[in-house]
Amino acid sequence: MPHRLLKFGFNKEHPEPRMFHAPAQLKDEYDVVIIGGGGHGLGAAYYLARDYGITNVAVIEKGYIGGGGTGRNTAIVRSNYLTNEGARFYQASIELFQDLSREFDLNLFYSERGHFTLAHSPASLRTQRWRAEVNKHLGIDSEVIGPSEVKRLVPEIDLQCGGHLSPIHGALYHPPGAVARHDAVAWGYARGADRAGVEIHQQTEVTDIEIRDHAVIGVHTDKGFIKTGKVLSAVAGWTTAITPMVGLRTPLTVHPLQAVVSEPLKPWLDKIVVSASLHLYVSQSARGELVAGASLDPYELISMRSTLDFTEGVSSHLVDLFPMLGDIKIMRQWAGLCDMTPDFSPIMGTTPIDGFYIDAGWGTWGFKATPISAKTMAATLAEDKDHELIEPFNLSRFSRWQLVGEKGAASVGH
Amino acid sequence: MPNRLPERDGEWIDRSQSVRFRFEGKTHEGFAGDVLSSALWANGVRLLGRSFKYHRPRGIYSLAGHDISSMVEDAQRTNLRGDLLPIEPNLDVRAVNTAGSLERDWLRITDHFGRFMPVGFYYKAFHTPRRLFPLYENRIRKIAGLGRVNPKGHLPPSAKDYAFCDFVVVGGGPAGLAGAIAAAEQGLKVLLVEEHPHLGGSLLWQHARDEAAREQLKDLLSRADALENLTIRCGTQVAGWYADHWLALVDAERLTKLRAMCTLVATGCFEQPAVFGNNDLPGVMLSSAARRLIYLYRVRPFERAVVLTGNREGYGVALDLLQAGVHVVAVVDLRANGEMSDLAESVAAAGIEIFKHHAVYEAVASRDKTSVVGAILCPLNEQGGPESIGRVKLSCDGIVMSVGWTPASGIAYQAGLRFEYDERVEQLIPESESDRVFVAGRAAGVFDLESQMEDGRRAGLAAAAACGRFEGDIPERPVHTGPPPSHPYPIMPHPGKKNFVDLDEDLHLADFKNAHQEGFDNIELIKRFTTVGMGPTQGKLSNFNAIRILSRLNGATINETGSTVSRPFHQPVSMAKLSGRRFHPMRHTPLHAQHLALSANMIHAGSWLRPEYYKIDDSSRADCILSEAENVRSGVGVIDLSTLGKLHFCGPDAARFLEQIYTGTFSEQRVGRLRYALGCDEQGIIIEDGVVARLSEHHFYVTATSSGAAGFYRDLQRWALLFEMDVTLVNETGHLAAINLAGPKAREVLRSLSDFALDDDAFPYLAVRQGHVAGAEALLMRIGFVGELGYEIHIPAGTATHVWQKLLEAGRELEIRPFGVEAQRLLRLEKGHLIVGQDTDALTHPYEADLGWAIKAKKPFFIGSRSLQILAARPLARQLVGLALPQSSKVPLPEECHLIIEDGEIAGRITSVAHRTTLGQPIAMAFVTPEMASPGREVTIRVAGGKLLVATVVPMPFYDPENSRQKVAD
Amino acid sequence: MKIIHCPINGPRPLQEFHFGGQVREMPVGSQVSDAEWADYVFNRSGEPGIQREWWYHTASGTWFIAERDCQSDEFIRTYLYGGRESDA
Repeated sequence: MPHRLLKFGFNKEHPEPRMFHAPAQLKDEYDVVIIGGGGHGLGAAYYLARDYGITNVAVIEKGYIGGGGTGRNTAIVRSNYLTNEGARFYQASIELFQDLSREFDLNLFYSERGHFTLAHSPASLRTQRWRAEVNKHLGIDSEVIGPSEVKRLVPEIDLQCGGHLSPIHGALYHPPGAVARHDAVAWGYARGADRAGVEIHQQTEVTDIEIRDHAVIGVHTDKGFIKTGKVLSAVAGWTTAITPMVGLRTPLTVHPLQAVVSEPLKPWLDKIVVSASLHLYVSQSARGELVAGASLDPYELISMRSTLDFTEGVSSHLVDLFPMLGDIKIMRQWAGLCDMTPDFSPIMGTTPIDGFYIDAGWGTWGFKATPISAKTMAATLAEDKDHELIEPFNLSRFSRWQLVGEKGAASVGH
Repeated sequence: MPNRLPERDGEWIDRSQSVRFRFEGKTHEGFAGDVLSSALWANGVRLLGRSFKYHRPRGIYSLAGHDISSMVEDAQRTNLRGDLLPIEPNLDVRAVNTAGSLERDWLRITDHFGRFMPVGFYYKAFHTPRRLFPLYENRIRKIAGLGRVNPKGHLPPSAKDYAFCDFVVVGGGPAGLAGAIAAAEQGLKVLLVEEHPHLGGSLLWQHARDEAAREQLKDLLSRADALENLTIRCGTQVAGWYADHWLALVDAERLTKLRAMCTLVATGCFEQPAVFGNNDLPGVMLSSAARRLIYLYRVRPFERAVVLTGNREGYGVALDLLQAGVHVVAVVDLRANGEMSDLAESVAAAGIEIFKHHAVYEAVASRDKTSVVGAILCPLNEQGGPESIGRVKLSCDGIVMSVGWTPASGIAYQAGLRFEYDERVEQLIPESESDRVFVAGRAAGVFDLESQMEDGRRAGLAAAAACGRFEGDIPERPVHTGPPPSHPYPIMPHPGKKNFVDLDEDLHLADFKNAHQEGFDNIELIKRFTTVGMGPTQGKLSNFNAIRILSRLNGATINETGSTVSRPFHQPVSMAKLSGRRFHPMRHTPLHAQHLALSANMIHAGSWLRPEYYKIDDSSRADCILSEAENVRSGVGVIDLSTLGKLHFCGPDAARFLEQIYTGTFSEQRVGRLRYALGCDEQGIIIEDGVVARLSEHHFYVTATSSGAAGFYRDLQRWALLFEMDVTLVNETGHLAAINLAGPKAREVLRSLSDFALDDDAFPYLAVRQGHVAGAEALLMRIGFVGELGYEIHIPAGTATHVWQKLLEAGRELEIRPFGVEAQRLLRLEKGHLIVGQDTDALTHPYEADLGWAIKAKKPFFIGSRSLQILAARPLARQLVGLALPQSSKVPLPEECHLIIEDGEIAGRITSVAHRTTLGQPIAMAFVTPEMASPGREVTIRVAGGKLLVATVVPMPFYDPENSRQKVAD
Repeated sequence: MKIIHCPINGPRPLQEFHFGGQVREMPVGSQVSDAEWADYVFNRSGEPGIQREWWYHTASGTWFIAERDCQSDEFIRTYLYGGRESDA
């Protein structure tokens, strides 16, 4: 038993203070207002305080912290992306993630499991090789392995997929691929930001943003008006509700992404397995549940309802891959919102409106980018200039026709 | 079976069928109709399992499918709930999640360390130093989890079926039965779904002692039975409710997908536990569990019982126990004034001591901690909390909890209803109903038996009205009168022992207090931090107490505190049932059998199966492919191209329409001629290519890529609407087969089989002709994707086998051979033809792919034209070029997608490569930067193992740059 | 599974349909700037609320327009492009 737990056993009172406070009311003015109390927004507040000493900051969250995409994703972290820009960015995120538990003094259960993207055809093996080559070039641990190696590392897998579809030809193997306790990432950032003096206002909704001469001058909320010159929108699936407030048009469309969780099982799967052909990704949580998801819902919807077809599909594909799972039961299903971009890369940084910064386009890849997007957005807000790592992701890339094509690595990639 | 009670009307067991089964290696006997838990309890076995975290002993708690700590597994299956699992001969199960055996589980030691493991302890340790975390994690993971997956398990596929009805009634208790009958009497097609094996719901156990209620049940059942339009499915759970009344029904056999018009949620309530010290010991159970034991399984729950109550029901339970031969030591009533009704008098008259305004403070455990030997009672103070003086210890082996209910509201939530707290009943009730979703009975806070049936009838009539079958007045929902059936706070703080709130997750009261202290002070945050409700019951017995606790901690009302949303499933559903027979679309071309007969190695290409190559004894794959290709170059070959998209564009606007779809021009195209067609999307990205044949002034026949055909056809239909053009589109992809006959001897083969002129004048290169091949009506296109004289023969699918065989016969002397996809890929690469999707990616535009020639920029409009105008004005970022690779080098040849490296940076990638070619030289197609694109330029490729290989940019095509081969004259 | 009212085939399950994106007005390419054209190509409204969308009934090859609330997923009405209407 680690000595850190002893204090709980020998203290009569629970020896832990609040992780974060609930300020009674909004101040009249903040240097920065961050819309969205997920990992990205709280993280940006944390790094604004830590790296730039900017602490007169309010994080405005309409629900509760970590309740959106942060708490609904399947918690996979990886950096085996296809483009230079993407892979560098996500690799920087991994490097921050690896040290985050220590920095927070909060165990995020950041667990490096190894991530397999299965290829069921020569064509998909080709894309995996492309990713592997780009990754290796950037020093990212990533390689294409053959079917026998897949079988050796994940012995429960049926390489023939039950004979129903194309057998597994190989996989992109990314040893640093990890899972983490997603909620705790939000709490860690919240605690750090709170300690530095940032105010976190939950159950507070932004109703409008006040603009004068193409510049932000304040934010209206259901609890009153706040003066501010800098607003960061970090609301992912709700971005399309915020951008009209400043008259900004974006390519974002919102689709639900669903997931399921099984009853708890003794550990048998210590890898993260993804199959684009089967529209499937699965890992086993520290609690023993299988956490699995599939591709996006096929039509635009800003709602977190569940569908039966989804669960039927994801179960069918799980059994294709792991025939022994027929007996295992699905316990619960849920959904999150994904703000999708045409090139499967995020939209980050400055915008044509002075003082309005955007952190969006997180589709299905937002959680894994949490630390780096928070850090680079903080830099961008503090210096009013896109951080070098996120320059390629600026909203203007569309009108400049300079897309960052990650479709091959991001769709059903997780 | 020492605890079995005498036979009684309505029992679920079949005493004529004795069943022997094994539990933890020991043989026991029960009756058919018993579940595992009831059979074991009948035999005096009370230790049924261990808890998730502390491995505490657990017994029967709800006996309604929520007893997570009594899950078992056998050789095949795992996580079977003991309180749902019917016993059967040969059943041989053991408890899940025990180390060693259930009795000697050495992990029970964790119970002693509980104080070192407060809520969220795992967030606070194990992460420093970082290198040790994997070790800790490994340990934690091994301890976590419940059942083991059987690695050899392989359930047979389970079929799914579909059902339809006007009105689905969820729950076969008094409200559900009454609702189903009322609606069926109005002519609705009604389906009543009951999760337990028998109808009756609470009538079977809550009202079992009441003779009149038993008569009422009989009456309801006979009325239901008489209605032909009322179907009843017992032993079936409604696992989830989805949009537009689409319900998942699950029974022992299968998943049924039901479409209904209206839904009645008559699911009753989950009885809620009280929280006190050791409230999880085997022997502490819900009153509904005790009653189920007595009336359904005829098992006497205890010898000596203490009843803890906060409602009228507890007194009824005491009498039930008494009648079952249990010595009821005391009724402990949380309420200051106790029970006012005549039930209290009956209890008192039976000599049972009543402790008003008292609580059970702690269950006293036996020395081995596996059973109850007593109850410590305490008087309550004015706030309802325990007094430290005046405690009483009573000896008993069972403690029954009857303190309240929470609606089984999951289906109603999923159907869009919301619930609010009502202090008249001290539980959640629906805020309102929708015009097609109703809630009746106890789930709606209606507890009086007559009122429940009245409420069900109301809902049934409302459904009939919604379906247009009833026009009369719909009665109002009956209002609850009298004291509330639930106690507002049946929760006792207890410093020493474990007073559990969530038995799935082993969470006790202090965990909530501590989580709140750490700032997790709203319902969603406290849920996530404590994990309350995340276990296999999904909080059915814990969420509401958690809400009560949080409300107190926040000094807020229940309605201010809110509740969490219930998501499917009601009870977990196996993946075998959800996945069903696992259909995956797989398409065979009309020539599939021919390929198999010719020893083809079939590969998946999208949903199609295609010959990769044809196997020849003792030859390697590479040899087979090369020899197929060489045979095309030198003689003649045939390939099945039936997977191509095959579309007709007809009508006066057909040519104009094609010009808007593709980058080229077609108005001027002569009848009988072919043109290459390149399609872009609105961004100017290449999405499609094919061949356009003009068959007549207003009729074009177009081929499209195999994988894109369906989507392309769909898009074409929309463009035709948007452009408001008089064009008719017909997709004949599956209707027609296509065979490419290619090679210098192709004409010779065809001559003997066709009825029209093949000479170069009559049928030149890039011409299309209609006629007959081997007697079959055929459309022939003279094109050369592979770079030789070639005829693409399009014929009705039904004639494909015949034509294919005739071609092989006719070519036998010319040594005709079929060739597969791989040989074709090699041949087209030699010819410099790109494959959309392989040599292009999600962002490739025509200028990058050296297809600028295919763009007729002078046209006023085509899809993507304006974007291409923008792109044309920008400097190119990359260009597709040909590469000659060294013939012999110590460095291995590149694979597709290996990178081109220039000055240490990525400067491109190989898109296609052939190591062995008919040219005798390895070649590749690659994207490189424009600076590197000029012929003669050397480029460096990073190949396997990180080695570098130098290649030379060469012009394409690699083979026959003059195109003389395709135009070969007769 | 949701039911969608195809203007030709009446109520059919969602599985038979394909979502075709928001209905957008294509500007005349020669009359707009590069930036305006890029706005058309890439940008979408995406706001919560009722939007006009393309849907395709795959089995019958019918494209039609649906007015749908993309937050509640309620189909307000469906009708053929420039043509007949059907209540959803």
